[in-house]
Amino acid sequence: MDFLNLLARLADLDTPTLPAAAPRRTALSQLGKAGTALLPALLTGLALPAAAAAAAPQDTRTRLDALRLALQLELLENEFYSRALGLVTGFSAVPFSATEKTALQTIQRHEAQHVTLFQRLITDAGSALEPAARYDFTGSKNGTQPALYPDIQTNPDTFLQVAQLLEDAGVRAYKGQVEFLQTDAYMLEAALRTHSTEARHASHIRTMRRQRGASVKSWVSPADASITTPGSGAAKVYEGEDNATQYVNIGTILTKVPFDSTLPINVGTPALTAAQILAKVAEAFDEPVNAITATALLQLFTY
Amino acid sequence: MADLADTSFLGRALRRRTFLRVAGTTAASSALVLAGCGKDSTPTPTNSTSSLNFAGSDNGLLNLAYLLEQLEAAFYQKVVDAFPSDFTAADKAAFVDLRDHEVIHREFLKFALGSNAYDVALTTPLAFNFTAFTLTTRAGVYAAARTLEDVGVGAYNGMGRRIASTQYLQLLAKLASVEARHAAFVRDQAEPNSFAASDVITTSGSLAGLDTVKTPAEVATLIASLVPVVLNTDALMLL
Repeated sequence: MDFLNLLARLADLDTPTLPAAAPRRTALSQLGKAGTALLPALLTGLALPAAAAAAAPQDTRTRLDALRLALQLELLENEFYSRALGLVTGFSAVPFSATEKTALQTIQRHEAQHVTLFQRLITDAGSALEPAARYDFTGSKNGTQPALYPDIQTNPDTFLQVAQLLEDAGVRAYKGQVEFLQTDAYMLEAALRTHSTEARHASHIRTMRRQRGASVKSWVSPADASITTPGSGAAKVYEGEDNATQYVNIGTILTKVPFDSTLPINVGTPALTAAQILAKVAEAFDEPVNAITATALLQLFTY
Repeated sequence: MADLADTSFLGRALRRRTFLRVAGTTAASSALVLAGCGKDSTPTPTNSTSSLNFAGSDNGLLNLAYLLEQLEAAFYQKVVDAFPSDFTAADKAAFVDLRDHEVIHREFLKFALGSNAYDVALTTPLAFNFTAFTLTTRAGVYAAARTLEDVGVGAYNGMGRRIASTQYLQLLAKLASVEARHAAFVRDQAEPNSFAASDVITTSGSLAGLDTVKTPAEVATLIASLVPVVLNTDALMLL
């Protein structure tokens, strides 16, 4: 998926003063063509050191970059649920109850619809679709490294754990991309409506896990029992989600929202401790991840 | 099919951009007005003839979000103050969380709005009317929560294209997905597996798989019976 990083770098070449009045189709088509023309020149840079990739500016992504990341995410999720439902040759269905299966069918249908949507948005704009990735949801990268989730195709609890990781990560990834779609009302609204659909999925997967005995809320909470190993790739799904500090411009001054001091948010009886109320603040705000983190998470399950 | 949709949306996008360029310079100072329509020159917020006029600006949108969060916070507080007798311990814990989240959202938006908050000069806050809901039974409470949360999700999804500030867009998205998590949770409690049912997720056509979206005017209509003033979102509809 270094191609995404390449696209992020190509975005630097995109003129930010792209005529606002130009039809979207034309504008995106130009982006696509520019990318193709410049590809050979940048191929040598494909093997970007991780540090350089991390340093790539995040405020220069194009709409095409954002749409392609969304499509990659949806393709992966669609394949993930399709395998669990026994819809993919070579993969037997994960044993779920009838009620659970119905829910997963609903989610899979949405992911397939999202795939269609983002493919249309990309191709309507005159841009090409990238080749499909290859997936290994055990995390073994096709047997080239120890599996992270060896029983994912047979153990419903393992499957739902990874489903929660993917849905929560998806919500964060969309949140990180909406700003790059702000110049196009249609794309922005489509992405926001996909974003909240994914949040509903995430909430339901969490409810399913709780019903099976896991200690987890339907919203991301510092109180959730951890399902990742500190420092692991999967742990990035929740890094920063415990954030209880928000900033907003008051006039032109970026100002910290005083959740920890003056805002009257501790309204329960008895009142919560300072740590408890800040945990509620963390629950009340879902945090974004940038494209680099989102891509790294997708790479856990692709090879 | 796609062509038609694209063309019309492009038109809206351009219109929004053009309008904001003008509105940005003039609307910033035009705070939301709570205008009394009666003879009394002092606005009386509990008077049903009063109206809330939302300015056609980011402040107007934020005020609509603020009103929605006030409404949700007041609703959950009312439930927490007198739980239905058939509420389980898990229900109670969830509703305390929901109340806390909405209070946090409310206070966050109030802080962000500062002196632009519509009710900054009101001596008594708006008193919301929840009599249309049955709050004495678990089923009634979850049905009411479902209505409010789905309106919230649709409202935030509809604000995105109208917001000019990228910072506000990012912040509202942080709230929107939490509201969607709430919505899915209360829907599942009201009816198992209804977290993303066909009444909220588009089932067919080019926008299949997408969550509910409501314009400010649609939001105003949906919450009209709960709010003791007339909501005028005309200016928001021009964004």
